[in-house]
Amino acid sequence: MDLFANLAHGFSVALTLNNLMFCLIGCLIGTAIGVLPGIGPVATISLLLPITFGQPATTAIIMLAGIYYGAQYGGSTTAILLNLPGEVSSVVTTLEGYKMARNGRAGAALTVAALGSFFAGTVSTLVVAASGPLLTSVALSFGPADYFSLMFLGLVISAVLAQGSVVKSIGMVTLGVSLGMVGTDVQTGQQRFTFGIPELSDGVGFASMAMGMFGIAEIISNLERPEARSVMSGKIGKLMMTREEFKRATPAVLRGTLVGTMLGILPGGGAALSSFGSYMMERKVSKGRHEFGTGAIEGVAGPESANNAASQTSFIPLLTLGIPANAVMALMVGALIIQGIQPGPRMVEAQPDLFWGLIASMWVGNLMLLVINLPMIGMWVKLLAVPYRYMYPSIMIFCAIGIYSLQNNVFDVYQTALFGVFGYMASKLRLEAAPMLIGFVLGPMMEEHLRRAMLLSRGDAMVFFERPISATMLGIAAIALIAMLLPALRKGKDSALQEGG
Amino acid sequence: MSWALSRRAMLASTVAAPFAGRRAAAQSWPSQTVRIVVPFAPGGTTDLVARLVAAGLQERLGVTVVADNRPGAGATLGSEQVARSAPDGYTLVMSNIASHAIGPTLYGNRVRYDPVKDFAHAALVVTNPSVWVASPSSGIRTLADAAARARSPAGLDVATSGAGSSNHMMVVRMSQLVGKEMNHIPFRGAGPAMQAVIAGQVPMMSDSLPSAASHIRQGSVVAVGMASAARHPAFPDVPTFREQGFDLASDSWFGLSFPAGTPAGIVERLNRETRAFLANPDIRGRFAELGGTPGDLTAEGYTEFVQREVAVWAPLVQASGATAD
Amino acid sequence: MKLNTKDLLSAALLISLAAAGLWLNMDHTLGTARRMGPGYMPALSFGLLLFLGIGVLLLGLFNGPDPIKMWTPAEWGFLFAGAVIGTTAGMMAGGMSGWIGQGWNPLGIGLFVGCMVASVVKSWRPLFLITAAFCLFGLVLETLGLMASITLAVVLSAFADETHHPKGVVGLVIFLCALCWAVFIWELDIRVPVWPVF
Repeated sequence: MDLFANLAHGFSVALTLNNLMFCLIGCLIGTAIGVLPGIGPVATISLLLPITFGQPATTAIIMLAGIYYGAQYGGSTTAILLNLPGEVSSVVTTLEGYKMARNGRAGAALTVAALGSFFAGTVSTLVVAASGPLLTSVALSFGPADYFSLMFLGLVISAVLAQGSVVKSIGMVTLGVSLGMVGTDVQTGQQRFTFGIPELSDGVGFASMAMGMFGIAEIISNLERPEARSVMSGKIGKLMMTREEFKRATPAVLRGTLVGTMLGILPGGGAALSSFGSYMMERKVSKGRHEFGTGAIEGVAGPESANNAASQTSFIPLLTLGIPANAVMALMVGALIIQGIQPGPRMVEAQPDLFWGLIASMWVGNLMLLVINLPMIGMWVKLLAVPYRYMYPSIMIFCAIGIYSLQNNVFDVYQTALFGVFGYMASKLRLEAAPMLIGFVLGPMMEEHLRRAMLLSRGDAMVFFERPISATMLGIAAIALIAMLLPALRKGKDSALQEGG
Repeated sequence: MSWALSRRAMLASTVAAPFAGRRAAAQSWPSQTVRIVVPFAPGGTTDLVARLVAAGLQERLGVTVVADNRPGAGATLGSEQVARSAPDGYTLVMSNIASHAIGPTLYGNRVRYDPVKDFAHAALVVTNPSVWVASPSSGIRTLADAAARARSPAGLDVATSGAGSSNHMMVVRMSQLVGKEMNHIPFRGAGPAMQAVIAGQVPMMSDSLPSAASHIRQGSVVAVGMASAARHPAFPDVPTFREQGFDLASDSWFGLSFPAGTPAGIVERLNRETRAFLANPDIRGRFAELGGTPGDLTAEGYTEFVQREVAVWAPLVQASGATAD
Repeated sequence: MKLNTKDLLSAALLISLAAAGLWLNMDHTLGTARRMGPGYMPALSFGLLLFLGIGVLLLGLFNGPDPIKMWTPAEWGFLFAGAVIGTTAGMMAGGMSGWIGQGWNPLGIGLFVGCMVASVVKSWRPLFLITAAFCLFGLVLETLGLMASITLAVVLSAFADETHHPKGVVGLVIFLCALCWAVFIWELDIRVPVWPVF
């Protein structure tokens, strides 16, 4: 068995003392920046890049990878405890995770997030090892038209994220897409809706929007309802999952792993789609679907597994093609090139230590994260016992520093404040923030692919229906849209909500 | 947090050791942290080079040198910030073709600095040519093939890393020479564009050599023409545009610049240290791997270089019709 | 009556945002389906938003009632006063030289002043004092440094909650200053002045 021989070789590399140390350091730093709002892996990795110059390439990349998936892990903690999503994937985690925390099940939510992520990480690491090069062709077979249809499908199903009126939530998705248009037009370089503000030329900040509409708006709402706060700090609940919760979470983890592994391979947007694709799936098929919106454990287990699986398989384009799927991967390419290594198809043969060592270290890192995080859950949950009057200024300050440090610009702080007010207003009107954030992230990508597809097809829109992948996506989107807008289904949804609530 | 200690310890042992005694700065400059503003997001070629240079200068200058990313508005945002900061020698910008040659024309009066007068240009760090690559499945092997494809009714699609980049300007100039407008397909960065070319969705790409180099070596794309004056030492098999009858050469470049008014002594010292660092064979090797040529110009030489670039690019940008307003 | 007040207000919000977007989008060329201009996609998305806004409006006429708590005259008055005074303060600051008119300070001053005026009314405090504290942090961060900003923002935000005791606030300020220094300065080494710079 070649695979096992290779993996054994990989573990012999990953388990050397030095590599283990750096893997641990990477995971710890990653967890920390994931927990802190605002500060993301890109900024941290670029700060730490010079440190890796002095290390062998394998060690350097092991540490950087550790930061990357450690941050994915840590991000769920604040999403569950404080309704503060650090990244797109955690937006989904806030939906059920924070509700669980309010019901006194924060411990269970954090535990399932950690266990689900570990399981998903294990499976997807094996997938990367076994069929990485094979899966590359999947990524390459996606053309602009297919990406457009995938994003479109994503937008359509994101309306499902909302609890209330479907029309209002599609409205919020559209508003998000529209806000995504702010900034420099990729195709022509023209400034759109920036009012001459240079800070807006790269668009409205995702972190500002997420922190304002979730974190700050939540603080304001909590301060308005003193009774809600006492409930919040009163209930800690049991740390461990109950047997029933475990039984419900298991299939969700399996499905989430599958969804994440598949979508993670697609560069640019695949990983972002994975967690809420999984959420949507759980909401439709899981046993606990009636509890969605009130703290269903499947809504945490599925998306958390999916996003961790996706973060592992998103290494495939990097390892097999030398093409970075996102900014973090681009930094890793940089780190490799500085070390004199060209990432690409020949890396498997030319640098077996690096390739298999990295893959083995991903699993080791996931194990470390589990070991680090499980005992910490108790500590995190105790945070909820801190009186809210001490919590809210702390959250506010951490948000403010985090948001400032992203670009070292106070404009972002004011932007966040404005989104806080808007988020508060939206929550009063039952306009939901989650669909808007997803629309904001997917909208610009969708525009880019739409325009590129039309440029390449010389203006022939049939390209979206002629390509099988694209046509399938559009077909599913159409069915979903019709099903959602059918009044009969709306009634069904409303009554389901009443049962749950 | 307990891990803080371990990381500190690691940092101390692995990184700080070579720079021990960096606080013992003898001369008046530098006596505090030097900040290099990188006007791009982390992860690009400029960012990479800036971090390499920062690490090298830190060693030579004896103070901490940090790279600070201030992206936005085609690299003009960070540059403007440096143009306005105090000329005390502690703030520099990674000046480059986008912020100092193309941007001022592209963004018009919204760029509130003069690329020459508002800076004390100190040192050219690296230059690298543009290269045109084709997808292996496209059948395009020479620029003549590309020109023929462009003139055919179907036309030729050419991908670039983004609108307004020097690679985009190459497409515009090539279109003028061929006499038929090529179908410019801008992407968000070189990575996605390269992927589309490898997958055969777009037949051609106008790219910078550093981001294309590894893909050319691996054979996942075919290098069709190098936009340098002479054949590139790292790719002696790739003919230049001129050899193939198209009078085009385009280098993108980045360097280090202080705000105007910085004392000449500081500018000179930085120029000396940067060139000494760039002369290091190990560094030259790394740059060669990337397809870049380390710069070796005096501060005056670099200033003239920037002046020349501004003069070359302004009419080209105007002719391209690309605007940011 | 089956009017759904929340939906009607939502519709008003969505429609006005869509209208503003479509109006601003008149500056951008639409282009053709083959070569879409910068205005093509915004026209589609804002157009759809307008359409959906109207949809919400129509539904809101029938699927109620879902009343929203009316604001008292004082709430109205101070909200309006805050908006006017804040805008004026921001505009005036923008016209001044020195620190007040520098960079984003006019925006910060405008937001801060406006929020402070509105938070005279007790029921507005959670919303506007938190926003004001957030803006105050941004306003003083680059001049007075991290420690002073934390102190000022925390003290101001403490007024949004009546259960605070002075001692608790002092303790919280000390704790947060120490924690933020440890995490952001000592550990992550972010670039921000810690102490006042003049």
